[in-house]
Amino acid sequence: MSDSSSAPNHNLVEFKVDRVIDETATDTRIVVLTRTDSPTDTFPIWVGAAEGSAIKLAMDTMVTPRPMSHDLIKSFIEHLSVAVRRVVITDVKSSTYYATVYLESKGVERTVDARPSDAISLALRAHCPIYITQDVLARRSSGNLDAWLAKMESKNLGTQEVQET
Amino acid sequence: MIAQMHLKGLMFDPYNNAYIVILREEDHSDILPIWVGKAEAGSISLALENVAPPRPMTHDFMKSILDAYDAKVISVVITDLSENTYFAKIHMMYEDSEYTVDSRPSDAIALAIRCNAPIFASETVIRKQNSEELEQWLENLKPEDFGKLDS
Repeated sequence: MSDSSSAPNHNLVEFKVDRVIDETATDTRIVVLTRTDSPTDTFPIWVGAAEGSAIKLAMDTMVTPRPMSHDLIKSFIEHLSVAVRRVVITDVKSSTYYATVYLESKGVERTVDARPSDAISLALRAHCPIYITQDVLARRSSGNLDAWLAKMESKNLGTQEVQET
Repeated sequence: MIAQMHLKGLMFDPYNNAYIVILREEDHSDILPIWVGKAEAGSISLALENVAPPRPMTHDFMKSILDAYDAKVISVVITDLSENTYFAKIHMMYEDSEYTVDSRPSDAIALAIRCNAPIFASETVIRKQNSEELEQWLENLKPEDFGKLDS
Protein backbone atom coordinates (compact mmCIF):
# COMPACT_ATOMS: atom_id res chain seq x y z
CA MET A 1 0.00 0.00 0.00
CA SER A 2 1.88 3.01 -1.20
CA ASP A 3 -1.03 5.07 -2.34
CA SER A 4 -1.72 7.41 0.54
CA SER A 5 -4.27 9.45 -1.37
CA SER A 6 -6.78 6.64 -1.00
CA ALA A 7 -6.50 6.62 2.79
CA PRO A 8 -9.20 8.34 4.84
CA ASN A 9 -8.43 12.02 5.14
CA HIS A 10 -9.82 15.19 6.61
CA ASN A 11 -12.52 15.21 3.97
CA LEU A 12 -14.12 12.15 5.55
CA VAL A 13 -16.14 12.13 8.75
CA GLU A 14 -16.76 8.85 10.51
CA PHE A 15 -20.32 7.88 11.40
CA LYS A 16 -21.87 4.84 12.98
CA VAL A 17 -25.31 3.33 12.66
CA ASP A 18 -27.37 4.40 15.64
CA ARG A 19 -30.80 3.03 14.87
CA VAL A 20 -33.28 2.04 12.20
CA ILE A 21 -36.70 3.66 12.40
CA ASP A 22 -39.85 2.22 10.83
CA GLU A 23 -41.66 4.62 8.53
CA THR A 24 -44.79 2.51 8.44
CA ALA A 25 -46.85 4.93 6.36
CA THR A 26 -44.62 4.52 3.32
CA ASP A 27 -43.13 1.10 4.15
CA THR A 28 -39.65 2.59 4.22
CA ARG A 29 -37.03 2.68 6.95
CA ILE A 30 -34.85 5.49 8.15
CA VAL A 31 -31.29 4.56 9.01
CA VAL A 32 -30.00 7.09 11.51
CA LEU A 33 -26.24 7.52 11.46
CA THR A 34 -24.52 9.47 14.22
CA ARG A 35 -21.14 11.13 14.07
CA THR A 36 -18.57 9.09 15.96
CA ASP A 37 -16.86 12.13 17.52
CA SER A 38 -20.11 14.01 18.10
CA PRO A 39 -23.02 11.60 18.72
CA THR A 40 -25.66 14.33 18.70
CA ASP A 41 -24.89 15.01 15.06
CA THR A 42 -27.29 12.76 13.16
CA PHE A 43 -27.57 11.86 9.50
CA PRO A 44 -30.71 10.03 8.33
CA ILE A 45 -30.94 7.96 5.15
CA TRP A 46 -34.20 6.60 3.78
CA VAL A 47 -33.99 3.00 2.63
CA GLY A 48 -36.42 0.28 1.55
CA ALA A 49 -38.03 -2.09 4.04
CA ALA A 50 -35.85 -5.05 3.01
CA GLU A 51 -32.67 -2.96 3.12
CA GLY A 52 -33.64 -1.60 6.53
CA SER A 53 -34.23 -5.05 7.90
CA ALA A 54 -30.85 -6.24 6.54
CA ILE A 55 -29.21 -3.41 8.48
CA LYS A 56 -31.25 -4.15 11.59
CA LEU A 57 -30.27 -7.82 11.50
CA ALA A 58 -26.59 -6.88 11.37
CA MET A 59 -26.98 -4.33 14.20
CA ASP A 60 -28.63 -6.90 16.41
CA THR A 61 -25.98 -9.43 15.34
CA MET A 62 -28.85 -11.76 14.64
CA VAL A 63 -27.88 -15.08 13.17
CA THR A 64 -30.48 -16.18 10.65
CA PRO A 65 -30.98 -19.88 9.87
CA ARG A 66 -29.89 -19.24 6.29
CA PRO A 67 -27.41 -16.62 5.05
CA MET A 68 -29.09 -13.38 4.00
CA SER A 69 -27.93 -11.53 0.87
CA HIS A 70 -25.27 -9.47 2.66
CA ASP A 71 -24.03 -12.52 4.54
CA LEU A 72 -23.52 -14.08 1.13
CA ILE A 73 -21.58 -11.01 -0.01
CA LYS A 74 -19.41 -11.31 3.09
CA SER A 75 -18.92 -14.98 2.36
CA PHE A 76 -17.77 -14.18 -1.20
CA ILE A 77 -15.37 -11.59 0.14
CA GLU A 78 -13.89 -14.10 2.58
CA HIS A 79 -13.47 -16.68 -0.16
CA LEU A 80 -11.69 -14.11 -2.32
CA SER A 81 -9.49 -13.10 0.67
CA VAL A 82 -10.66 -9.54 0.19
CA ALA A 83 -10.91 -7.08 3.09
CA VAL A 84 -13.57 -4.38 3.23
CA ARG A 85 -11.55 -1.34 4.32
CA ARG A 86 -14.27 1.28 4.54
CA VAL A 87 -17.46 2.50 2.98
CA VAL A 88 -17.96 6.13 2.07
CA ILE A 89 -21.15 8.01 1.32
CA THR A 90 -19.78 10.10 -1.48
CA ASP A 91 -22.54 12.02 -3.16
CA VAL A 92 -26.15 13.08 -3.13
CA LYS A 93 -28.13 13.83 -6.28
CA SER A 94 -31.87 14.53 -6.26
CA SER A 95 -32.17 13.10 -2.72
CA THR A 96 -30.40 9.89 -3.75
CA TYR A 97 -27.23 9.07 -1.87
CA TYR A 98 -24.29 7.34 -3.48
CA ALA A 99 -21.76 5.17 -1.72
CA THR A 100 -18.41 3.62 -2.56
CA VAL A 101 -17.10 0.44 -0.98
CA TYR A 102 -13.30 0.21 -0.67
CA LEU A 103 -11.96 -3.31 -0.96
CA GLU A 104 -8.39 -4.47 -0.63
CA SER A 105 -6.68 -7.66 -1.62
CA LYS A 106 -2.94 -8.28 -1.66
CA GLY A 107 -2.26 -4.59 -1.29
CA VAL A 108 -4.43 -3.65 -4.25
CA GLU A 109 -7.40 -1.44 -3.56
CA ARG A 110 -10.56 -1.61 -5.63
CA THR A 111 -13.71 0.44 -5.33
CA VAL A 112 -17.26 -0.65 -6.00
CA ASP A 113 -20.27 1.61 -6.46
CA ALA A 114 -23.20 0.81 -4.14
CA ARG A 115 -26.35 2.14 -2.62
CA PRO A 116 -25.69 3.35 0.94
CA SER A 117 -28.03 0.64 2.28
CA ASP A 118 -25.91 -2.15 0.75
CA ALA A 119 -22.68 -0.41 1.78
CA ILE A 120 -23.85 0.00 5.38
CA SER A 121 -25.19 -3.55 5.57
CA LEU A 122 -21.83 -4.86 4.44
CA ALA A 123 -19.85 -2.49 6.69
CA LEU A 124 -21.69 -3.76 9.76
CA ARG A 125 -20.99 -7.36 8.83
CA ALA A 126 -17.37 -6.73 7.85
CA HIS A 127 -16.76 -4.46 10.87
CA CYS A 128 -15.33 -1.62 8.83
CA PRO A 129 -15.82 2.12 9.34
CA ILE A 130 -18.51 4.19 7.62
CA TYR A 131 -17.59 7.68 6.42
CA ILE A 132 -19.52 10.57 4.93
CA THR A 133 -17.73 13.21 2.88
CA GLN A 134 -17.72 16.81 4.14
CA ASP A 135 -19.30 17.78 0.85
CA VAL A 136 -22.31 15.51 1.41
CA LEU A 137 -22.60 16.71 5.01
CA ALA A 138 -22.57 20.32 3.87
CA ARG A 139 -25.30 19.69 1.35
CA ARG A 140 -27.76 17.91 3.59
CA SER A 141 -30.95 19.77 4.29
CA SER A 142 -30.40 19.97 8.00
CA GLY A 143 -32.88 22.43 9.47
CA ASN A 144 -34.41 21.09 12.64
CA LEU A 145 -33.71 17.51 11.74
CA ASP A 146 -33.41 16.27 15.28
CA ALA A 147 -36.80 17.65 16.22
CA TRP A 148 -38.22 16.08 13.11
CA LEU A 149 -36.67 12.71 13.90
CA ALA A 150 -37.94 12.85 17.46
CA LYS A 151 -41.41 13.53 16.14
CA MET A 152 -41.08 10.67 13.71
CA GLU A 153 -40.13 8.29 16.49
CA SER A 154 -42.91 9.37 18.82
CA LYS A 155 -45.28 9.02 15.91
CA ASN A 156 -44.25 5.43 15.45
CA LEU A 157 -44.88 4.71 19.08
CA GLY A 158 -48.30 6.26 19.15
CA THR A 159 -50.76 7.73 16.73
CA GLN A 160 -50.98 6.70 13.10
CA GLU A 161 -52.46 9.84 11.55
CA VAL A 162 -50.02 12.67 11.11
CA GLN A 163 -49.55 15.38 8.58
CA GLU A 164 -46.54 15.53 6.33
CA THR A 165 -43.85 18.01 7.19
CA MET B 1 -27.47 -36.47 -10.10
CA ILE B 2 -28.35 -32.93 -10.96
CA ALA B 3 -30.63 -31.57 -13.64
CA GLN B 4 -30.45 -28.25 -15.39
CA MET B 5 -33.43 -26.05 -14.60
CA HIS B 6 -34.90 -23.19 -16.53
CA LEU B 7 -36.38 -20.20 -14.85
CA LYS B 8 -39.93 -20.06 -16.15
CA GLY B 9 -41.28 -17.16 -14.18
CA LEU B 10 -42.51 -15.72 -10.94
CA MET B 11 -45.94 -15.99 -9.40
CA PHE B 12 -47.45 -14.11 -6.53
CA ASP B 13 -48.76 -16.23 -3.69
CA PRO B 14 -51.42 -14.08 -2.02
CA TYR B 15 -52.09 -16.61 0.73
CA ASN B 16 -48.55 -16.42 2.05
CA ASN B 17 -47.84 -12.91 0.77
CA ALA B 18 -44.78 -14.33 -0.91
CA TYR B 19 -43.58 -15.10 -4.41
CA ILE B 20 -42.94 -18.42 -6.09
CA VAL B 21 -40.03 -18.84 -8.45
CA ILE B 22 -40.89 -21.50 -11.00
CA LEU B 23 -38.02 -23.63 -12.19
CA ARG B 24 -38.68 -26.30 -14.78
CA GLU B 25 -36.52 -29.20 -15.76
CA GLU B 26 -36.25 -29.16 -19.51
CA ASP B 27 -36.17 -32.91 -20.20
CA HIS B 28 -38.78 -34.20 -17.83
CA SER B 29 -40.93 -31.12 -17.37
CA ASP B 30 -40.65 -31.49 -13.64
CA ILE B 31 -41.46 -28.27 -11.89
CA LEU B 32 -39.62 -27.02 -8.85
CA PRO B 33 -41.40 -24.19 -7.07
CA ILE B 34 -39.37 -22.10 -4.66
CA TRP B 35 -41.03 -19.66 -2.29
CA VAL B 36 -39.06 -16.43 -1.92
CA GLY B 37 -39.54 -13.08 -0.21
CA LYS B 38 -40.72 -9.89 -1.86
CA ALA B 39 -37.27 -8.25 -2.10
CA GLU B 40 -35.69 -11.39 -3.57
CA ALA B 41 -38.54 -11.76 -6.06
CA GLY B 42 -38.12 -8.12 -7.04
CA SER B 43 -34.44 -8.65 -7.68
CA ILE B 44 -35.05 -11.78 -9.78
CA SER B 45 -37.79 -10.02 -11.70
CA LEU B 46 -35.59 -7.03 -12.57
CA ALA B 47 -32.91 -9.34 -13.95
CA LEU B 48 -35.49 -11.43 -15.85
CA GLU B 49 -36.96 -8.35 -17.48
CA ASN B 50 -33.48 -7.00 -18.21
CA VAL B 51 -34.29 -3.80 -16.41
CA ALA B 52 -31.28 -1.78 -15.37
CA PRO B 53 -32.28 0.08 -12.22
CA PRO B 54 -30.85 3.60 -11.74
CA ARG B 55 -28.80 2.38 -8.77
CA PRO B 56 -27.28 -1.09 -8.33
CA MET B 57 -29.57 -3.46 -6.47
CA THR B 58 -28.06 -5.80 -3.87
CA HIS B 59 -27.34 -8.57 -6.39
CA ASP B 60 -25.88 -6.09 -8.88
CA PHE B 61 -23.58 -4.93 -6.10
CA MET B 62 -22.74 -8.57 -5.36
CA LYS B 63 -21.83 -9.11 -9.01
CA SER B 64 -19.76 -5.90 -9.10
CA ILE B 65 -17.61 -7.22 -6.26
CA LEU B 66 -17.05 -10.53 -8.06
CA ASP B 67 -16.31 -8.65 -11.30
CA ALA B 68 -13.83 -6.37 -9.52
CA TYR B 69 -11.76 -9.44 -8.67
CA ASP B 70 -12.47 -11.33 -11.88
CA ALA B 71 -14.27 -14.08 -9.99
CA LYS B 72 -16.73 -15.99 -12.16
CA VAL B 73 -19.95 -17.70 -11.16
CA ILE B 74 -19.84 -21.05 -12.97
CA SER B 75 -23.15 -22.48 -11.85
CA VAL B 76 -25.62 -22.59 -9.00
CA VAL B 77 -27.20 -25.74 -7.63
CA ILE B 78 -30.34 -26.08 -5.53
CA THR B 79 -29.12 -28.86 -3.29
CA ASP B 80 -31.48 -29.60 -0.50
CA LEU B 81 -34.88 -29.00 0.92
CA SER B 82 -35.88 -29.48 4.51
CA GLU B 83 -38.86 -28.02 6.36
CA ASN B 84 -39.63 -25.92 3.30
CA THR B 85 -36.22 -24.28 3.41
CA TYR B 86 -34.13 -24.74 0.33
CA PHE B 87 -30.38 -24.81 0.25
CA ALA B 88 -28.21 -23.81 -2.67
CA LYS B 89 -24.57 -23.74 -3.57
CA ILE B 90 -22.85 -21.21 -5.78
CA HIS B 91 -19.84 -22.53 -7.68
CA MET B 92 -17.32 -19.84 -8.34
CA MET B 93 -13.99 -19.72 -10.14
CA TYR B 94 -11.29 -17.38 -8.87
CA GLU B 95 -7.61 -17.46 -9.83
CA ASP B 96 -7.58 -21.10 -11.03
CA SER B 97 -9.39 -22.35 -7.95
CA GLU B 98 -12.99 -23.34 -7.59
CA TYR B 99 -14.98 -22.32 -4.55
CA THR B 100 -18.37 -23.42 -3.33
CA VAL B 101 -20.41 -20.91 -1.37
CA ASP B 102 -23.51 -21.71 0.69
CA SER B 103 -26.52 -19.58 -0.17
CA ARG B 104 -30.29 -19.35 -0.22
CA PRO B 105 -31.74 -20.37 -3.60
CA SER B 106 -33.22 -16.88 -4.05
CA ASP B 107 -29.78 -15.23 -3.87
CA ALA B 108 -28.25 -17.97 -6.02
CA ILE B 109 -30.90 -17.54 -8.72
CA ALA B 110 -30.78 -13.71 -8.62
CA LEU B 111 -27.01 -13.89 -9.09
CA ALA B 112 -27.10 -16.67 -11.72
CA ILE B 113 -29.35 -14.72 -14.08
CA ARG B 114 -27.10 -11.67 -13.81
CA CYS B 115 -24.00 -13.77 -14.52
CA ASN B 116 -25.66 -15.92 -17.22
CA ALA B 117 -24.75 -18.96 -15.15
CA PRO B 118 -26.77 -22.18 -15.43
CA ILE B 119 -29.11 -23.20 -12.61
CA PHE B 120 -29.21 -26.84 -11.54
CA ALA B 121 -31.23 -28.75 -8.99
CA SER B 122 -30.39 -32.08 -7.43
CA GLU B 123 -32.74 -34.91 -8.39
CA THR B 124 -33.42 -35.45 -4.71
CA VAL B 125 -34.81 -31.95 -4.34
CA ILE B 126 -36.99 -32.34 -7.42
CA ARG B 127 -38.28 -35.67 -6.14
CA LYS B 128 -38.71 -34.48 -2.59
CA GLN B 129 -40.72 -31.40 -3.37
CA ASN B 130 -44.39 -31.89 -2.96
CA SER B 131 -45.82 -30.90 -6.29
CA GLU B 132 -49.42 -31.33 -5.21
CA GLU B 133 -49.43 -27.95 -3.57
CA LEU B 134 -48.23 -26.31 -6.72
CA GLU B 135 -50.59 -28.22 -8.97
CA GLN B 136 -53.45 -26.94 -6.89
CA TRP B 137 -52.01 -23.52 -7.40
CA LEU B 138 -51.67 -23.84 -11.12
CA GLU B 139 -55.26 -24.99 -11.49
CA ASN B 140 -56.44 -21.71 -10.09
CA LEU B 141 -54.07 -19.57 -12.08
CA LYS B 142 -54.57 -17.66 -15.27
CA PRO B 143 -51.69 -16.81 -17.63
CA GLU B 144 -51.95 -13.16 -16.58
CA ASP B 145 -50.91 -14.15 -13.08
CA PHE B 146 -47.45 -14.92 -14.31
CA GLY B 147 -44.99 -12.07 -13.98
CA LYS B 148 -43.15 -13.15 -17.05
CA LEU B 149 -43.56 -16.14 -19.29
CA ASP B 150 -40.68 -17.79 -20.97
CA SER B 151 -41.46 -19.19 -24.39
